[in-house]
Amino acid sequence: MSKETVKIQGIIDGKRVSTQNLLKNVYAKLEDGYTEFEVDASGQHNIGGPLWTTDGTPLKFTVKNPGQRVGSMGMPGTEITINGSAPADVGWLNAGATIILNGDGGDTTAHCAASGKIYVAGRTGTRSGALMKHDPKFPSPEFWVLKTVGSFSFEFMGGGVAVVCGLGAEEAPSVLGDRSCVGMVGGTVYFRGNVKGLSNDVWLMDLDESDKDFLLAGLPEFLEKIDRKDALSILSDMSGWKKIIAKTFEEKKVKSLMPIRDFRLGQWVEGGIFGDLLQEDYYVANYVETGDLRLKYPEWQNARYSAPCEYNCPVFIPTQKRIALLRQGKVKEALELVLEYSPFPASVCGQVCPNLCQDICSRKKVDIPVKIKQLGQLSKEADIVFDAPERAEKVAIIGSGSAGLSAAWHLRKLGYQVDVYEQDSVVGGKLKQVIPNERLAQEILAAELKRILDKGVNVKTNSKVDKDLFDKLRKDYSAVIVAIGAHVPVVIPFEGHEKLVKGLDFLKEINKGQKPAVGEKVVVIGAGNAAMDVVIGAYEMGAKEVTAIDIQKPAAFEAEMEHARHLGAKILWPVFTQKLTDEGIVTKDGKLIPADTVIIAVGDRPDFSFIDKSWLNDKGLVKMNEYFQCEADEKVFITGDAIKQGLFTHALGDGRKAAINVDKLLNGRKLDKFEKAPVIPQDKVKDAYYHPMNPQRVEELGTEDETGRCMSCGFCRDCSFCLEVCPEQAITRKEVDGKFEYVSNPSKCIGCGICAGVCPCGVWTMYEMTEKYIES
Amino acid sequence: MATMKVNQISRDDLDWQLQYNTDRCTFCGKCVAACPFRAIEAGVEKRRKVISDHFTPEPKVQFKTVPVIKQCVGEYNFCRGCGICERVCPNEAIKPVRNEDSRFGVKYRATLADPYKRGGRANLATEKRTLDKIKVGRISQMTDPSLDASRHTFDMLAPFGRILPADEMPFDVVDGKLVMNSATPKVNWIYPIIVGDMSIGALSWRMWEAMAIAVAYLNEQVGLPVRMCSGEGGVPVRLLKSRYLKYVILQIASGHFGWNRIINAMPHMQELPGGILIKIGQGAKPGDGGLLQAKKVASHISEIRGVPKADLLSPPNHQGLYSIEESVQKMFLSLNSAFKFQVPVAIKVAASATSVSVYNNLLRDPYNIVGGFFVDGLAGGTGAANEISLDHTGHPIVSKLRDCYNAAVHQGKQGQIPLWAAGGLGANWNLAADAFKMMALGANGVFTGKLMLQIAGCVGNDHGKCNACNTGLCPVGICTQNPTLVKRLDIDKTAEQIVNYFIATDNELKKMLAPIGNSSLPVGRSDCLISVDRAVAERLNIQYSC
Repeated sequence: MSKETVKIQGIIDGKRVSTQNLLKNVYAKLEDGYTEFEVDASGQHNIGGPLWTTDGTPLKFTVKNPGQRVGSMGMPGTEITINGSAPADVGWLNAGATIILNGDGGDTTAHCAASGKIYVAGRTGTRSGALMKHDPKFPSPEFWVLKTVGSFSFEFMGGGVAVVCGLGAEEAPSVLGDRSCVGMVGGTVYFRGNVKGLSNDVWLMDLDESDKDFLLAGLPEFLEKIDRKDALSILSDMSGWKKIIAKTFEEKKVKSLMPIRDFRLGQWVEGGIFGDLLQEDYYVANYVETGDLRLKYPEWQNARYSAPCEYNCPVFIPTQKRIALLRQGKVKEALELVLEYSPFPASVCGQVCPNLCQDICSRKKVDIPVKIKQLGQLSKEADIVFDAPERAEKVAIIGSGSAGLSAAWHLRKLGYQVDVYEQDSVVGGKLKQVIPNERLAQEILAAELKRILDKGVNVKTNSKVDKDLFDKLRKDYSAVIVAIGAHVPVVIPFEGHEKLVKGLDFLKEINKGQKPAVGEKVVVIGAGNAAMDVVIGAYEMGAKEVTAIDIQKPAAFEAEMEHARHLGAKILWPVFTQKLTDEGIVTKDGKLIPADTVIIAVGDRPDFSFIDKSWLNDKGLVKMNEYFQCEADEKVFITGDAIKQGLFTHALGDGRKAAINVDKLLNGRKLDKFEKAPVIPQDKVKDAYYHPMNPQRVEELGTEDETGRCMSCGFCRDCSFCLEVCPEQAITRKEVDGKFEYVSNPSKCIGCGICAGVCPCGVWTMYEMTEKYIES
Repeated sequence: MATMKVNQISRDDLDWQLQYNTDRCTFCGKCVAACPFRAIEAGVEKRRKVISDHFTPEPKVQFKTVPVIKQCVGEYNFCRGCGICERVCPNEAIKPVRNEDSRFGVKYRATLADPYKRGGRANLATEKRTLDKIKVGRISQMTDPSLDASRHTFDMLAPFGRILPADEMPFDVVDGKLVMNSATPKVNWIYPIIVGDMSIGALSWRMWEAMAIAVAYLNEQVGLPVRMCSGEGGVPVRLLKSRYLKYVILQIASGHFGWNRIINAMPHMQELPGGILIKIGQGAKPGDGGLLQAKKVASHISEIRGVPKADLLSPPNHQGLYSIEESVQKMFLSLNSAFKFQVPVAIKVAASATSVSVYNNLLRDPYNIVGGFFVDGLAGGTGAANEISLDHTGHPIVSKLRDCYNAAVHQGKQGQIPLWAAGGLGANWNLAADAFKMMALGANGVFTGKLMLQIAGCVGNDHGKCNACNTGLCPVGICTQNPTLVKRLDIDKTAEQIVNYFIATDNELKKMLAPIGNSSLPVGRSDCLISVDRAVAERLNIQYSC
């Protein structure tokens, strides 16, 4: 059912028909069976679609002077020919129509075209071909433009084919305008000529054979439709053509920016902006590293710290080392080790010493101290060989007390010839002369004195040194050690003081078997350790009631006072003596303490009468330096109670130090101040390893079983806990010449500090790598 | 036996407690190896039980000594909550847990008689941020021509330099043509988000170089003209002599650190610096001055700054300045002349109740030498400060910036001395939104510091986590000069992530510009803002909506 062409007028009777009425006119004619329309428009919009016939007869429009959106939503079977140019949106949403534009198109020509064909004989405006797409159930849209398209063309294009022939625009900077193909995801744009400002979303490519086939097949039809067959030969030269396709989803993901590393190495300041100031290797460290990149590193420092027992002992006896030897089964060596420090382990450590070592023993944090006193007693029979070569130098020692004999012992050990001048008839000083038998078994002391004398120490008893002899000694001997002790009792000059018995004399008489007489009631003035010995002596001599008084808190050790109290003594303080009468002591507040005998034991002073006054300071003591050296004569050393009254252990320690410094002096070496290694910090020794023991059970244990209780402070007990626990297996145990050490391998160690954290003895210590760096 | 006494610091006094699961711990040592604060250590613990497993009492002692990881407790070595232990633990056996009942603040002061110092940021921010109460509420919906963020070109440039008003432009009409008869003040047009002043010294050399690389890369590879400010710690000579100097805004502050090398490098400069920023104060700690702890003064710092290893204090006040007028005369004039008036000079102050007066005063600028007013609010970060300054001094930036802008508008001088704002911007991780809102309120641009560190891997936050920038022990190598820690930081990765963040921010900024129909920066376009908080709306004079 086809009729002849119907004419549709855009202006009727000189008046412009509205778009709505013009379109309704078209609809009406279509109803009437017309399929060919000649529209003489006057800017009316939307001419040409979407329209169809029920029987499928094609629709034909010839349009002149249209408004916007000619052929928009055009359907298959519709062909629209526009004579002249058209404004925006020609073929917008084209759904299948063939649209021939014999002129230029406005903006957004072929916008959203999804099917059909759009042929443009001229140029089109911006955003042409934007959002074109291809529905696979329908033929692909085609958009042919003879000349150029405007900027932003083919934005978000999703499918279809566009062909921009660039005819006459061969010199133009871009036949696709600026920023073409932004957001393009599909389809193909063929173009001939230059392009610039193309988006990054697409690839610009050369044509392949099928592209050429497509163009060579399509161009004649296009040119025929727009009646420009004259251009065929120019356009058929495929050398000027290119195509644009969208990057795939995967391709778009690829970042096109230069890697920073390449930028840094290729363009950035060579060697880095800090390259002249510091070393930079650009290595990126992990949180956990080995070697120099660790934050901390461990060091196995055996005996870097003093054990508390060692630190507190005036003789520096390292009990932790003795126990370590016991632990290794070296009992003999263990018992002999002490003799390197003291010749009186059984007498002093084992009996008279208040054992400062035990007071501070780390084991007290768990239960009770290691039995160091008993350990000393075990060394009574021990002996060591003095194997140093004999030396010609002779040393004179004045006094055979603990300081003098300690010095003699150590000097002999070093090979010196030693003469000891003793004013008393017996050897041993106060140990022998004044300590009550109750506190010091004579048989043990005798054994230890013998051990000293057997080493070739030559003691001249009853040899009081006077000025002349002292000068001679200084001349005859390479060095002189003054170890005269303190044998001049101090007396307080209150009224009646001449009646006082001097404690020192009293004790000496007892020990010589002279049995000094005492009354029933005895008062001892003073409550120090010596006073306690006097108390013991008084009871031994028959006293019934002994009272010790002091002006201040008693200085005696608790054990000594306990001993005295046990015998029945009273210890009173503060008590100030006003005078001494036949009835006893009258205190400053007028009370009487009845006494038949009053003994004073408030301290003793050394007797320096053989020394020139100019050698003494205003307290009457010899001027000396920190090396025990006499200021007036570098060959004369002072030691023991002659410096300051102290414990026997102080005397032993000072005697040893004086001896060592004599050796150094005679060898021309720098003298020693004997500074101790710092005591180990409490938290480095891990008491958590030890289960507390009931003190009774401890008492039942043998002394040799103390190996289990001693915590070996600062001294490796060779338990290999560190080796086992190290997470990096960095620690090994090395043994050379019977000596072992643990070593951490820096290339394995991560510096976690577990070795230090678990070490029972506190031998491992962590150090900051930072400080190493910062210092350097 | 370890004893505990009343006045000793104990675990429950600390801000952070370690949650440690001994059953899951394999004693691999990683946590202890990685912790820079000496806050954890290995140790041993007793496990003791006396039990009876008979029908009659038969005591049996069960005793074990178990290696464990322990928290250190002390005024110097304590957990900062950085969580590196948790990161390196393969078994989720350890992590720091915030102690709600911490007494650390009182313990520290009472024990050491010293103000508590730390780095990081204010820790009292409990309220929602003002900027989060503001939305872009005016969207082009069939009104203004809206733009498409991904397709439109945007002119996103902000001025650094003195802008002359039209009627003061030195133009004459000669023979019907416009002729410029004298030079206008130098203005650099730069990206509206720049990297704020963080010194070499406060930052590790790797962090500082990573930022410098990122900025150069953004300019040269990405096309974003971002700038960074050197901070007051000098500038490496190699950078001064390189062509990248143009991306660097040099800072001068009260300590004047590093300027000897800058001045001596002048004859060798290939490019002029991107600007000069005079620092008067810092928003995070106004009145506290710069504070570089001695342990961060590594040898290169000491060299660049020209000072020995010591606590380095930049005085809180400029020693030679007594008034606004004198500041202008001495600092602006001198630094303008330093580069022959070819480099614009701006000034940075901590936001303060007096900021508007200062800005009003600067706005007179008869010599056209004031190239910008940088206002820094209290929510910014710092490398080290007294906590009292961090938590209790300062002024929020939003209303202050608004007031400054309005003051300029009142005089009809807005835009003449560019306003730049900072102080906690990007704390919600979205710098684009914050920057946009600040610009709409009147800022020409914003600067950001702390956020760069967070991009780089800073683990700290505004609730007391880590904040140990002052210790020189930054666990991620950002705020430390300790080589073992600095080496943890990856220069390339850090630069890449800063670059990426800026690219993302740039995209996001366009997504804010497009819907309001601005193809240039929305400076002063407060009409596009609404607030769901009436007080905020009223204070800022923007629309209240609900």
